[in-house]
Amino acid sequence: MSAAPASRTTSRAAYAVAALALLAFLAVPRVGIPNNAIRLLLTTFLWVTTSLAWNLLGGVTGQVSFGFAVFYGLGAYAAGLSINGGVNPYAAIAAGGAVAAFGSILIGLPTFRLRGPYFAIATIGVNEAVRIVMSNLEITGGASGLRLLQAGRFSQAEHYYAGLGVAALAFLVSWRVTHSPFGLALRAIREDQDAAADLGVHPFRCKLAVHALAACLTGMAGGVFVRYTAFIHPDGVFAFATSTSILLMPVIGGLGTLSGPVIGAAVYSIVQEEMVVHFPQFHLLLYGALLILIMLFEPGGLAGLWRRLARGLRGRNAGGPGEGIAAQQQLTGGGS
Amino acid sequence: MKNTGIGVHGGSRRPAARPAIVCIVVLALTLLGPWGSGIEAAQGAGCPDAIRIGLVFPMTGREGRPGTYQVEGIRLAMELINAKGGVYVKECGKRLPFKEILYDDQSDQGRSVQLVERTMSSDNVVAVIGAYSSSLGQAQSVVPDRYQVPWISPGAGASTIYSQGRKWIFGVLSPVELLGYTTMKFLGSLVDQGKLDKGLKIAIAVENTDHGKEYVEGVNRWIKENPTAFKVVFNESFQLGGTDFSGILQRMKAANADIFLSDAHLQDYIAMHRQYTQMGLRHRMVSYGARGTEEPARKALGPAADYIFAGIWWHKNLPYPQVKAFVQEHKKKYQREPDSYYPSTAYDSVRILAAAIESAGSLERTAVRNGLRKARLTDSLLPGQTLQFQENGQAMTPFVIVQNKPGDKVDFVYPEDSRTGEVVTRIPR
Amino acid sequence: MGLDDLLNLFVAAILLAGIYTTMSIGMTVIYGVMKMVNLAHAGFMMLGAYFALEMSQRLPIDPLVTSVLAAPVFFLLGIATHRSMVRFVPVADEPTLPSLLLLFGLWLVLQNVGYAVWGADDRSIFTPLTMATFRFEGIVVPVIRLVVFGIALLSLVALHLFLHHTWFGRSVRALTQNREAGQLAGIDTGRTAMLTFGLGIAFTGLAGALLANLYSFTPDFGGSFMLRSFVITVLGGLESFSGVAIGAIIVALIETFSILVVPASYQHAISFILLVVVLLVLPGGIEGLLQRWRRLR
Repeated sequence: MSAAPASRTTSRAAYAVAALALLAFLAVPRVGIPNNAIRLLLTTFLWVTTSLAWNLLGGVTGQVSFGFAVFYGLGAYAAGLSINGGVNPYAAIAAGGAVAAFGSILIGLPTFRLRGPYFAIATIGVNEAVRIVMSNLEITGGASGLRLLQAGRFSQAEHYYAGLGVAALAFLVSWRVTHSPFGLALRAIREDQDAAADLGVHPFRCKLAVHALAACLTGMAGGVFVRYTAFIHPDGVFAFATSTSILLMPVIGGLGTLSGPVIGAAVYSIVQEEMVVHFPQFHLLLYGALLILIMLFEPGGLAGLWRRLARGLRGRNAGGPGEGIAAQQQLTGGGS
Repeated sequence: MKNTGIGVHGGSRRPAARPAIVCIVVLALTLLGPWGSGIEAAQGAGCPDAIRIGLVFPMTGREGRPGTYQVEGIRLAMELINAKGGVYVKECGKRLPFKEILYDDQSDQGRSVQLVERTMSSDNVVAVIGAYSSSLGQAQSVVPDRYQVPWISPGAGASTIYSQGRKWIFGVLSPVELLGYTTMKFLGSLVDQGKLDKGLKIAIAVENTDHGKEYVEGVNRWIKENPTAFKVVFNESFQLGGTDFSGILQRMKAANADIFLSDAHLQDYIAMHRQYTQMGLRHRMVSYGARGTEEPARKALGPAADYIFAGIWWHKNLPYPQVKAFVQEHKKKYQREPDSYYPSTAYDSVRILAAAIESAGSLERTAVRNGLRKARLTDSLLPGQTLQFQENGQAMTPFVIVQNKPGDKVDFVYPEDSRTGEVVTRIPR
Repeated sequence: MGLDDLLNLFVAAILLAGIYTTMSIGMTVIYGVMKMVNLAHAGFMMLGAYFALEMSQRLPIDPLVTSVLAAPVFFLLGIATHRSMVRFVPVADEPTLPSLLLLFGLWLVLQNVGYAVWGADDRSIFTPLTMATFRFEGIVVPVIRLVVFGIALLSLVALHLFLHHTWFGRSVRALTQNREAGQLAGIDTGRTAMLTFGLGIAFTGLAGALLANLYSFTPDFGGSFMLRSFVITVLGGLESFSGVAIGAIIVALIETFSILVVPASYQHAISFILLVVVLLVLPGGIEGLLQRWRRLR
């Protein structure tokens, strides 16, 4: 299961390209790009982070969670409370990640005993329960939300770099995990959990581990978010709509791949900004229709479409509804 | 047969160059996207041909109806001012009309903040008017100090927004705490007049937001000053936006109170009172905070809404000439009378902004902000007819208490000098 | 809390259980035959509610009567939905993720349709009957809940007759128990699936229309009811129709009596916590529990 022989030179090219990209993004605040664009990039970085994180659990390991907003919110609240308590902002963001990871273990311990769709439904329940509890907990502000005590001058660049940092971290982690034995184990769990167990993988432990990793990244994104907006509210960060957005991005972009979640997040960000300004009343329609079309025609999302087009240019035909799913099943060799 | 789920393979074997390239291309697109739409000429020398005002309100979503009413009030004010040529700006030596740039935040806090940031950073606005409801106001109020653009809210009344040392925010809505206090003051005056016995029991059920909490604070402040007048036997909060209130109503029933005080948003008020009536609950006097007289509620609840009293920021029957004129203009433009206070505070925010710009003599943001600090509207639509902002940015106009009467009528019952009818202290069966 | 109050609560719970059963049957039927969890359940309930609203505004007939019309209308709607998208999802013995996400996407689309057509304002149906109460020996029952309960009960009786006394009904039960055996017995699974989906949506739409008479609603109405349906369906054993009634009674009782111990603002969380607990502790539902008990004897 090793990479293709040509990978050594292309790996170096890959690192070079990645480094260049990083440099480009680092330079953004300094070259006079308008504030509005920087704000949008910051938002995109946060979505990229949650997208990559969710993909680790949902795309690579096949455990679809409808309740990831829980970790975003936990991270945001933990970081927010820490900052209000005088903690250094970056430590607070890390604390957010840690609290989210801890939360994921508490949630994962009971729920990972459930298989696929039942796990998914359970996560909806957990999401809503957490939201309602947080709406009523006085120490965190309850339904009034949590306000960050303002300190110092506002520097948009600082927030931008924090967002870039978290996104880069998420990308790095995803990259490493997918190319590691751990990633292999995760994919085995996705294909056939029982067979994987027979081969010596510990599905429960692996699921808990990747869940914690994904939750940590998402929580850190939440920490960057709370620092930026200085005010969070349970109906915002713990909303079911937030969970929906988090899962939409990797699905649209292409589950299981590295570029898919990034594409999905970027597309979502741009589209969302334009839609909110010009067509606020159609965004649900857009995402719902996208989901339906993707499930019927191209479960591989935009990344899968790209691949299909690339193959198509070499002479294969595309099919009708259901062909997407059926083709996918063929590729994977079907179930047992 | 096992579930194969979704999942695409091959990502692990591909050289990482492709994902990296894709990432760059896509993120570059992100840059170009907003670049194209976001760049406006910087606010520089020379006078623009209009006074651009950003408006960020919920036009759809949970708060869509009040939000729309507020925007209607703003538009009416701008239209009337523009009809006279606009606002006189000394620096430009002429009158300039208002121009609105409207965004719908769909009652979503995240979007609300996103849009305020967008308009403050790239729409070249002189000021932003925004936020119906205190939670949207809380979220938006973080932004003005960052971009140093004046912000006025005609719909956010929670005082915590204005107690954080911010320098660029202004609120036209009087604090909810004062609403709670005034309500109790009114009830106390009834005890003094002998219309209510001393020591009656009060049940309080408020929404679990800042709005509800501050209402209770106001109530408690009065009770602390007058400990023997009433006794609070029930005090709980409920989730905003729920549809089923039977739980809290059941618990309240067991408390056997004489007076029921609540503080709720319009929809919750309607749903709650419907269930209240269906469960056969009864109290001598009932209030839902600032709610009670709204037309949709009276239509939905019918006779069940009679005799409910409310402490309101404004009512269309206030006996001032400027209110009559406003109601007439509103009817002319929108073919209906203003419902509840929503359009009135929005209308006055535009007027006080115009006054501030005129006194500042310029469109420069800091000058406008300083103008707002000193501005004073002496023909305000609001009770007391004077609108000006306190030190912390929030206005503090007095409340009037009104009571619903049968036949879709409303009476002013407090303060004494604005009374138009007798208060009913025991709701008839 | 006096005996009167407790009795009131009990009656309220039973009335609630009736409508909960109707609402959950829709989900159970679809799960039983197609092994799909219908995440668009909430969307169809919402459409049912607006259907009732439209009927109440256009026809001078009492909305409770016209709510019943929702059943045939939504039956057709369900069939249309199946033919246009659901049938392309490959069959499996367990719910698959594509089916989950497809139906979830459908829910989003339906929500948007709701917003586009009816706006985001809260709507409710008020008739002279809305405030009427029926009093008996200290028990106060809103008349409207009584009528809704009655209609729900009738629909369940109709379903029972259908499942046990028609050929189609029997094929539905057969496929629910064992798909392959059913196919061997000559049942046309494709057609049965289509008609079953229609049946499930019919009950869902009917439930939505009935609930519209009790609560106010917006286009994102239905989410919390859908989750309750999950709880009830799982409690009922996922494939047993009588189990659904038991599950509905349990959930209704817990929800109604929880107000005695849980503060009002936490009450919404109860159905969600119940969901997680039930999924973990009783995956076979009450029926599974009973079966195991029977086998032990």
